[in-house]
Amino acid sequence: MEGSRQQTNRLEGAVPTAPSFVAAAHELKSPLALVRQLALHLESGEVTGGELQEIAHRITLTSERAIRLTTDITKSSRLEDSLFSLEPLNPFVLCQEVVDEMKPLYAAHGRTIVLSSRARSLLALANRDLLRRILLNFADNALHYSGDGPVTITASLRDGGSCIRLGVRDYGPALPSVMRKNVGQKSVHVHSRPESSGLGIYIARQFADAMHARIGATSHRDGATFYVDIGTSSQLRLL
Amino acid sequence: MPAKRVLVIEDDQWFLSLVKKTLEREKITVVTASNTIEGMVAINEMVPDVIILDFFMPGPNALVLLHELQSYGDTAKVPVILCTNNASDIPKDTLSAYGVVSTLDKTIMYPDDIAVAVRKAI
Repeated sequence: MEGSRQQTNRLEGAVPTAPSFVAAAHELKSPLALVRQLALHLESGEVTGGELQEIAHRITLTSERAIRLTTDITKSSRLEDSLFSLEPLNPFVLCQEVVDEMKPLYAAHGRTIVLSSRARSLLALANRDLLRRILLNFADNALHYSGDGPVTITASLRDGGSCIRLGVRDYGPALPSVMRKNVGQKSVHVHSRPESSGLGIYIARQFADAMHARIGATSHRDGATFYVDIGTSSQLRLL
Repeated sequence: MPAKRVLVIEDDQWFLSLVKKTLEREKITVVTASNTIEGMVAINEMVPDVIILDFFMPGPNALVLLHELQSYGDTAKVPVILCTNNASDIPKDTLSAYGVVSTLDKTIMYPDDIAVAVRKAI
């Protein structure tokens, strides 16, 4: 059955070649507009005790989301001038850090994010900061553009152990079919989600390129997995 | 006179709760949906007096719902208020043919604007 068949798509070559100021403005508009609306409700004076605290907390979390995005944009624009050292790292520890960082935001939306545990120990070769930002980006994307189900971060060995795939699995609308059709067509602008500008994916790809990693997406009937493939550390063999 | 019933279709749950509170203060019955599909289900259950509709949401966007509403006699005349971050990019003249009676820009609107727009639409 076609609907139940999982289709794997490389985002490589299917994302815009450069982010536009319009895309950045579009992505920032949403959290800023929300902060403004929340602040206006506080100003109205009709908000009491517990609700006041809840709205203040939402303002904090939404502001942090906007700051994360602006930091990613500025970091992305300086990638060419910087050298990013690669280090052996435990991807589970990093994934757990991402889960812990995103948990308050997910909880405030009544959602959950978990790490899928695996017994096998892995060692990746990557830049910790860039990899963390890619996963935060995917997790943020999953929160705002997927359905109500839990979001799971997974780590698995690929290609006979030469590669580690860190994925963020969500449940919601499948990726648009145009994305599948246009895989490999470099000139085609493809959005990560129909309602997203695609800026987040563009930035994630830049971060991945800077550490010789690759990002991609798998479309499921009931959602999507956005993933980053990174090399394994040769120190793995010494363990 | 029975309370007016407004369906709010909005994927941002926090913005949705603000709109709901504002309208309920005006004694308006609010039903919510977080995407177009949920909105269609809610409309099938009971046709609302007014629909407040975000434009871009996970899954089908507002245009899909607007087309669907025009396909049935009982829903074609339900006034729709678009409430979006992208109001300046939306061709309002074209959308009026789809029952859109007003467009609110989330980036500049004030909380009470939504109640004013609903009262005007009813």
